Formats: sequence, structure tokens, C-alpha cells
Amino acid sequence: MTTPRILAATYVALAVLAFADGPAWALTPLCLGALVALGELWLRALTGEAMPTVTRIGLAIAAGLVSLPFLAITLHATGILIRPRTVAIGLAVLATVLGVVVLLRERAHGAPVDARLPRTVAVVAASGALTLAVGFVALSAYDRLPHPPLPGYTSLALNGWAGDLRGPVTIPARGVHVPVRVSSAGLPAATQPLRVRVGARLVSGRPLAVTPDTTRSVDVFVPAPPDNCLHRVEISLGATSTVFYAQGPGRHRC
Amino acid sequence: MTLTRPAPGPTAAVASPPEAPATASRRPAVLCAATLTGAGSAGAALLVAANRAAEWDTGRQFALFWAGMLVFTLPAVYWLVRRGSGARLRVAVLTAYAGFTYLPKLLRTPDGPLFHDEFAHWRQAREILLDGHLFEQNPIVKVVGDFPGLHSTVAAISGLTGVSIWHGALIVLIVAHLLVVLGVAVLAEEIWQDARIAAVATIIYSLNSSFLFFDTQFGYESLAIPLLVWTLVALHRAMRGPAGRARLGWSAVTVMLSAATIATHHLTALGLLGVMLILCAVATARALRRINPRAVTWTAWALTVAATVLVVAYLWVVAPRTAGYLDPYLAKALDQIAGMAGEGGGGGRTLFRESIAPWWERAAAFGAQGVAAFGMLAAALWLRRKREGDAVSRNGALAMFVLGSCYFPAALLILTPSGAEGARRSWAFSYLGIALVVAPLVIWLLDRAPRYTGPALLAVCAVVMVGNTAAGMNPSYRFPGPPVFGSDTRSSIPEVSAASAWLRSTQGRDLRIVADRYSGLIFGSFGGQRPVTGSVTFPTYELYLAQPDRKISPQLITQLSEWRFTYLIVDRRMAREVPEIQIYFETNEPVPHGDQPAFTLGQLTKFDRTPWTIKIYDSGNIAIYRFDFASLGKAVR
Repeated sequence: MTTPRILAATYVALAVLAFADGPAWALTPLCLGALVALGELWLRALTGEAMPTVTRIGLAIAAGLVSLPFLAITLHATGILIRPRTVAIGLAVLATVLGVVVLLRERAHGAPVDARLPRTVAVVAASGALTLAVGFVALSAYDRLPHPPLPGYTSLALNGWAGDLRGPVTIPARGVHVPVRVSSAGLPAATQPLRVRVGARLVSGRPLAVTPDTTRSVDVFVPAPPDNCLHRVEISLGATSTVFYAQGPGRHRC
Repeated sequence: MTLTRPAPGPTAAVASPPEAPATASRRPAVLCAATLTGAGSAGAALLVAANRAAEWDTGRQFALFWAGMLVFTLPAVYWLVRRGSGARLRVAVLTAYAGFTYLPKLLRTPDGPLFHDEFAHWRQAREILLDGHLFEQNPIVKVVGDFPGLHSTVAAISGLTGVSIWHGALIVLIVAHLLVVLGVAVLAEEIWQDARIAAVATIIYSLNSSFLFFDTQFGYESLAIPLLVWTLVALHRAMRGPAGRARLGWSAVTVMLSAATIATHHLTALGLLGVMLILCAVATARALRRINPRAVTWTAWALTVAATVLVVAYLWVVAPRTAGYLDPYLAKALDQIAGMAGEGGGGGRTLFRESIAPWWERAAAFGAQGVAAFGMLAAALWLRRKREGDAVSRNGALAMFVLGSCYFPAALLILTPSGAEGARRSWAFSYLGIALVVAPLVIWLLDRAPRYTGPALLAVCAVVMVGNTAAGMNPSYRFPGPPVFGSDTRSSIPEVSAASAWLRSTQGRDLRIVADRYSGLIFGSFGGQRPVTGSVTFPTYELYLAQPDRKISPQLITQLSEWRFTYLIVDRRMAREVPEIQIYFETNEPVPHGDQPAFTLGQLTKFDRTPWTIKIYDSGNIAIYRFDFASLGKAVR
């Protein structure tokens, strides 16, 4: 393929990658094609000589691939954020620079032609596609077969304002409703005791039905501690619990 | 205006070794495609069956796995070394071989990171997509952020195409795997100028312990090693010349690929320098004996100096933490070797300790080392007798022999806990040397008595593949299975992921948290947090180790408070189970390792009763506490 054609194909591919919002399965080969074309430009710019076809294919892929980190480092160094569009534009600039070098070189010395290259590329592509197809079928089959269940769990967390507690809380004399989040996954339905302890004292307890694979918020009433000393408040559901520290409304110092 | 001209004639043939002619008849190609498609499908089915056997714990996974690998590999090897195979057929088979040998890793981790370093790179790629910056410090592997080659490539592909980070990574890694396979073949052809030898060298290289699982992971070496191989290809072509523009051009390619290697991985860049220095040393020795043309030696030295300047400058300016990161591993490994040599003989590790690998895999692991040693011995005699090829080829062959010999000293390091990781990583380099010097010997044997040596060599190939893979990777990395605490690949249960997702959704990302190694992987990657798992200077593991009635070191509390650590993650499995890889937090942790867990439940649940830790989340195994250092020392009723 002549250099102007490679350049044109690269620009078109990069424009699509930067501005079109296509499906990933279509954009991926386009992206790889653009990188290989860029790698070919690197080779033409730097060596400009004939080489065995496998060497050319391998080096073009390698050079195309490493263009991305080189570009990312350049963008970083120049303070430009690494975004899909900046990457595509950067690659287009790189292709232009390389293309100019190649065209100048070819004007002076001509360009080598390897008639075997297209067929070898086709062989690599066909073999790769066949292997990918076998791999894809294997992967899909493995994915669809039944797998052993993973261990389940029930979690309890402070929720809402209680989730943002950063220190002891002062509970007014009327008590307070503490929101907690109950979540269960991979376990059968069960009823577990929901208990509140203030210090060592069990202040309330009731059964709570925990439905499988659901998450819900539950308000738990916590009465005020008897004094303004620091008390440990534990809300537990079965074997799980949350703990925070609170003081009552009293005025005397502990 | 035409910009093309015919390929150069005889002059260019000096620069480019002639290719073997393409297959004249299509029949072998069709037959090859049919047999390998059938073998590949059967092999893939067996690999799937192996994974299922492992998942359901039937114990048949090892036999099924190797049956699957060999059912494809052996016919592929046949087509590669067959005298009548043409150049294109070999390329096609090598491509298929690269694809098939990626399948075990693909089946192991089809939809997300699983190996330790994969979490670090996954996080780094996501940070680039989220923030658009490079060189962010990584909390899982400290220096990963300083080497953006792999994750910036993955992030760019993910961003440009819309595929997920993981699928972007798979695309890059499969391409990199293909590059290794083709690269070794091209490098071998540069040295031996024989396509069959090149194919055999590729197969031998693919037997190294890292090829199937380690160098296929989402880790920087998976991209850096193909870059190393292609740098050596470019270096050989630069050394070969001809002088003038061609040499300059190839030199530029060598420098470009060296730069990409150092921007991708520290150890591979150092390994590349090591190989280049070996090449220089051999070239100099031969130049002193007036065997080498001066241009060959000078080119080798000039490019090695250029690569050294790049590597040193990068490590000095961009990644100055690297030395501090690598140094403790080497220092401790040397200490442990000294300990093993001392009176007590302590400090070593027992190979395959508590491994569930079958006896024949373990036996093959030891047998593979013997085969490598025998192969290198025979290669030494072969190189001494057969002085073929031009100066560059001979130079390359001798340098590869020196490189291959480095494989054996590394075996000493595998006996130490701190050196084992480094030893395994070094084999991906040194096996390149073994592959390149043993390959011609294999072809010589095949040509002398193909009927007998062919099956025997295939059997040896199978033993080495099984043995090296068993030596390089734990079964828990190779196969799925029931959750196992203290395994990088199997300790991640849905409960840990749910806790990390909850923390991220309710408290945000980039929080500084204290965690163990395994929770840290999940919270630091999917959770987007900044976990610390402890070090000598910041011993966060003392929080867990402290007995319930003992105070935490004030110095540690000051560090946590001043450095704005806000959350503590506690995995109670630490009190019930011994970690599979004998690490709770980090490799140098001061935690007793024995048959019993190092922690009691009291040590891990003491935070339920300390007013400076608010327990905001609990799911049975995992608890999350928020630090409230202002309440430290307060009395509680």
C-alpha cells in the first residue's frame, strides 16, 4: 500500500474513533488497524528498507502499540488530559509527522515493495480469526455451564445520617431513630433477631425477616443513655453488628 | 507520481535473510488448517472441562488440562518442524499457537482481574480514564504508576473503542502474546537463518514457566517482554547493517523500542540492558580476536549505551522509587541464601509445600530442570563444533548461550521466599537464551533419525511444558475452585466486593484505609480506595496484632491521624484460617507463620469496644470501622 493511502486510511479510522459512537465490536478492529498502519509508518520513516514479512508485521504491530504510551506521556508532559479525543488527535498528528518523513524519504530514495506482504497478513489474520472463534466458543460454553454457588452473606451498615457519624453522638431524651441498611445475597430467607444494646444493657429486640438478594433500610429506635457519659451503642442483626458511641442529655460531667 | 519501486535485489538480501518459499501446493495448508482446527476445538473443550473439574473439586483438572494443552500443541509442533511446511504455513501455525496458548489464562480470568498485579494495573487504567493523568501512585503495587506503558495503552484502547478496561486489556495482552511468539521466531531466524530452527526455538521458549499464566496476565511484563524480544531483533538488524542509512534506521528502531520497554517495566528494562551487555561483551571478545567486524561491535556498544542512558535517566528522573522497591527483595533473598548456607540451614522454602499439584507434575518440574541442563550442555558442545553463520549470527548465538546459562543460578533463588518471585521473573529472559541455542540441536537430531527422535522429543517437550508450568504457578492461580483465604486469586468472595462497593457508594473513592493484603486488593481496585497494608516504617499490622487489653503504639496512631487515614478494614477469616500463601499483609510482616492462624478473634474484634473506632459496616467476615482519633482514651460505660 502506498504511503498516501496508509495515511488516508489512518485519518479516516482515527476520525471515526474520535467522533463516531459506534459499537465496540466494530471500533476495536478499526482501532487495531489504525495502530498497525501507524506502526507501518514508523517502519517506513525509520528504516525504509525491505525486510521479511513476519518481521514487518511484528514490528508494525509493536511500533503501533507503543505509539499509545509515547503519546500518553507526551500529553501528560504538556498538561493535556488523556481523553479519547485527545488521543485520537494526537495519533493523527503523529501519523502526519511520520507521513511527512516517509514521503520525503520516498521522494529521495523510492519505497520498497513486498509482494508477499498482503498474503502473509491475510494468513495471520485468518489464523488469528479462527483461533479467536475457537476461543470465543470455548469461553461462551464455559460461561453458560452451571458454576458452584459462591458463599452468601448478610450485611448490616449504618445508613443515612448515621453512616456519616464521625464521633460520639448526643441522643435527646426522647431517643432517636437510627437508620440501618440490611442487605442479603446468596442466602435463603431467614428471620434474625434485631437487637439494640446501650452499654451492657439490652434495650430492645425484635425479629427481622431478611429476604434473599435484597437491600433495604430499617429504622431502629435507640433510647437516650441514662447520663451524659460515653456509652457504647450496638445494633445487631444475628451475628453482624454496628457500633457507635453516644451520650445522654444529662448535664453533669462524667 | 509513483512512490514505489521494486524490492532491492542482492544487496538487500544481505540485510534481510531470505525467506523460505511459500508452500507450492495448497493441500498441506488445508490439511494443517483442518487438523489444527479440530485439535484446537478438542483442546479448548478439554481446557473447559479442566476448569469445571477444578470448580467442582473433582481432582481431575490436572489431567484434563494437560490433555487439552497437548492435544493441540503436539500437532502444532509437527506442522511447525515439518520439513515441507512453507513460510506462510509456519506463520499461520505460530499465530494459532499464540492464540491457543492464551486460552488457559483467558478461561481463568474471563471477566475481570484476578492475579495480584492485575488489580493494580486495572486500577491504574481506570484512574487514567477517570482523571486523564498518568503517574498516579498505586496503593497496591507502589511503583506501577511510574511505568505507564501497559495501562496507558489499555486505557487508550478502552477509551477509543468503548470496550471495558478488562476487554481492552485482553486485546492488548493477546496481541502482546502473539508478538512474543512471532518475535522469538524472528530473532531465532536472525541468528540461525533457518525457519525450522526458528519455529523450534519458539516452541522451546513457550515451555518456560511464565509463558502460559504469568506473562499473559494484566501485568507490565506481559507487554514489556515482547518489546524486549523485538528490541533484540532490531538490534541484530542494526548490527548486521549494511552501513549507512539502513543501520541508522534500525538503530532508531532499537532505541524507540528500548524507550518503550523502560516506560513499561523496570525489571524487563534491566533485563534488556543485561542481554545487550552480554551481546556487547561477546562482540568485544570476538573483536579482540579479530573475528568480528568493528562495525558490529561498535553498533552493539553504541545502542547499549543509548539504552542504558534511557533506562538510567528514566529510573532517576521519572521513577526514583524503583530502587527502593526492588532492593529489599534482593537483599532479603541474599540474606536467606546466606542463612541456608549457615549452620542452621534456615531461611529457605520447601518447593511445592502443601501444593495440591499431582506427583507427576512435581516430578516433571524437577525433570524439566534436568532437561534444560542437558540441553545447554549439548548446546555448548554444538556451538563449539559448529561455527556457522556470519559474525552477527555467531555473536548472537554465543550471547544467547551466556544468557541461557543464567537460568541455573536463578534456581538457587527459587529456594528462598524473597528470591522466588525474582527467580521466576528472570526465567522469562534466560529461557530465551536456552531456546535459541538448543533449537538447532533439536533440528539436527530430527534430521538424523526422525522416526525415533521425533516422538522422543515430543515427549520431552510435554514433560518440560508440564514441569515448568507447575514450577512457575500455584494451582490456585491456574485453576478456579472454592474460595480459599489467603490466596490472591481465590480469597475474593462476593462479601468482600459488596463491602468495597458499599464503602465507595456511601463514602466516596480515594479514601485512605488500613487493610490486609487480600481486602486491600479489592478495596484498592474495584473500590477505588487507597489501602495501606503495612511496612517497616508504617507498621499498620500492629493495629491487628495488638492484644485486646493493650494500647496501640502512640506513634502509629499519630501517623494514621496525621496522614488522614479514615477507615480500617478487618477480615475475620484471619482468625480462623491460615493464608494459603502465608502472607497476611506483606512479605516482610512480623507475623508468626505456622499451622495455626496468627490472630485470635479477640484481636480482631477488639475494635468493637474501642471508642475511637466506629463500626459502620459488618457482614460477618468483613467489618469496616471509621477512625475517630479524637475519642482515643475516652472512658466508655
